Amino acid sequence: MDTIVVNHISKSFGDKKAVRDIFFEVRPGEIFGLLGPNGSGKTTSLRIILDIYQPDTGSISILNGPMTEEKLNNIGYLPEERGLYQEVEVGKNLAYLASLKGLTKEQIDERLPKWLERFDLTEHQKKKSKELSKGMQQKAQLIATLIHEPEIIIIDEPFSALDPVNTQLVKDLLIELRNQGKTIIMCTHQMNQVEQLCDRLVLVDEGKVLLSGTLKEVRERFSSNQVLLQVESDLPADLPEIENSERQGLYLRLTLKDGSDPQELLKHLIDQGVKVDSFEIAMPTLDEIFISVVKQGKNGYEEDN
Amino acid sequence: MKKIISVSKYEYLHHVSKTRFWLILFGVPLAMLAIFAITFLLSYLSFDKSPVAYIDRANLISQPQSLPENQGFFNDTIPLLAYQDESTARADVENGTLQAYFVIPSDFQSTYTINFFANKQVDSDVTSEIRSFIHENLLLRTNIEHLDRIEAGSVISLQSLDGSELSDGNGMGRILVPILISVLYFILVRSGSGYLLQSLVEEKQNRTMEIMITSMTPKQLMLGKIIGNLGLGFTQIAVWLVLGGLAIFLFRDRLAFLGNLTLSGSYLAISILTMLLSFIVVAGLFTIIGATMSSMEEGNSISGLIILPMMMPFYFVSTYFSNPNGLIPRILSYIPISAPLSLSLRMTFTTVPTWEILLIFAILLVSIVLVFWISGKAFRRGLLEYNKRLNLRDIFAKEVK
Repeated sequence: MDTIVVNHISKSFGDKKAVRDIFFEVRPGEIFGLLGPNGSGKTTSLRIILDIYQPDTGSISILNGPMTEEKLNNIGYLPEERGLYQEVEVGKNLAYLASLKGLTKEQIDERLPKWLERFDLTEHQKKKSKELSKGMQQKAQLIATLIHEPEIIIIDEPFSALDPVNTQLVKDLLIELRNQGKTIIMCTHQMNQVEQLCDRLVLVDEGKVLLSGTLKEVRERFSSNQVLLQVESDLPADLPEIENSERQGLYLRLTLKDGSDPQELLKHLIDQGVKVDSFEIAMPTLDEIFISVVKQGKNGYEEDN
Repeated sequence: MKKIISVSKYEYLHHVSKTRFWLILFGVPLAMLAIFAITFLLSYLSFDKSPVAYIDRANLISQPQSLPENQGFFNDTIPLLAYQDESTARADVENGTLQAYFVIPSDFQSTYTINFFANKQVDSDVTSEIRSFIHENLLLRTNIEHLDRIEAGSVISLQSLDGSELSDGNGMGRILVPILISVLYFILVRSGSGYLLQSLVEEKQNRTMEIMITSMTPKQLMLGKIIGNLGLGFTQIAVWLVLGGLAIFLFRDRLAFLGNLTLSGSYLAISILTMLLSFIVVAGLFTIIGATMSSMEEGNSISGLIILPMMMPFYFVSTYFSNPNGLIPRILSYIPISAPLSLSLRMTFTTVPTWEILLIFAILLVSIVLVFWISGKAFRRGLLEYNKRLNLRDIFAKEVK
């Protein structure tokens, strides 16, 4: 059973259509990437999932039904706009936010020190939030998101303001949480993080779904039937699989004929005694896919209107 | 319920932990005390208590002035001393023993004029004391019985045709109670709702709002905040009442006139209940403001529009004296914001029919439901609008839950 089902939701604010038709499902124990450019409808979709807004059409199912207070307590949410009481000590800030998620004082007293320790914030807990650096505030915010040990974690740009060391810390944490069986929805612009973390993803723009699937499916769908080859000698002239060849620095970018199999080409090269240093099926990066799909989507959207 | 308590506890402790709260809590009574003390000291120091002499050439004075036994701050009496000749009196004014003297000429009975001599302007208390002194002695010559009653004047009791009392002519003293109620109400609204507005705008500005409303329902959040901030207002009032009570106890001899005030239990109960219900309406209105404004400055300027009608009954206070059941006092009692002051003023001067009191409570309760319905909408719609100020059309736009 899927943890979250977003069933063709739409939402308008006055004349502005924030979400036109968004649909996806998030499975238990996966990291799901909700991707899209700024203003694409991601945050509105998250707020609909969280029952802050009601959709105009469509529906949401969380843990097999509508949102309840009990389910809200089982969700950890890191909003895009970070929020801590600036004049209040970090420790008190977190204790209060944890109490709102239903934790008792004893539970808070037991868990908070561990989280502060893990995020290296123990010695800063008496400081007012405004005295912390952006990165530290981000870590404190993550504690507020996770301290009640939710089953569902929804995080919007979890890596913003983090240095490489802390980015790795958060990545390790997300993987650990997934391994514990938690379901995670992650919104981010950092495609390299998506490539490393997400099991499945959906790409939205202009309030519509442009693309969805597992990372592998998406990349394969956009593979351009090209091979990147690094060889020490020239290529034999009579390679039947190749339609075109182009040099890119150390590499040769070979475009294969329709229906040709890259494995056949490799076998052919080796049979002919070519010394192959590297042979790579040229998959587009998620960044490239993102840009090309959003561009295409925009053109399509303009044609629609 | 647990979350409502969490929120109200946090709201309460958050503000109580701020220096500002304590400054207001003790600063306001201290400032009032300081103003009172300075004014009192200045007038006391500038008040000339040296005697005034009189030379009675008309043989008018048959009963010399009797000075009260306890001379105090509030009831200083200037001694009026009989002198035989004017030159001695003049010399004593020159050397400062006397502050002035006056001569009752032999033809006083035909002119009713006395001649007053002084080197400087005297206080009005001195002239009024001389007036009543002469008045008293003039009356003594007429041999009228019950002179003391004539001196004290009549008690006028006004009755309406339906038998309910309208006024006993002693309204100015009784008006103290509604004034006190309005001051308390004003403080409750200013501090309680002020803190409420501040905390809402602050949570919008520091972006904690989104976490709050994904942890509880907007209704729980609103209730928690209102209870917490109402508690703050009550704490202030309680502390000030205790300080005020202490002051009254310490100066009880000087404040004997307060002894005439009697408060009935139903009067207090109705006044306090009206105040509470009205506060909840105002809190709801402030929630709407807090949810729709994006900065404290905007919120403050709009909240002034709510504070203004609260004090409206004072602008028409003469109408409450003359006709407490008239149109204006009635209308102002039906408006939830001005109801506490209006009703308590009316109840001071007349008997307000029970059906009307019930009607006012009903209006207040309906207003609470209405205001909370709107503020619920504004809350959901406006809480996450960090940079935009919402208008009424936005609040009622169809997308709101």
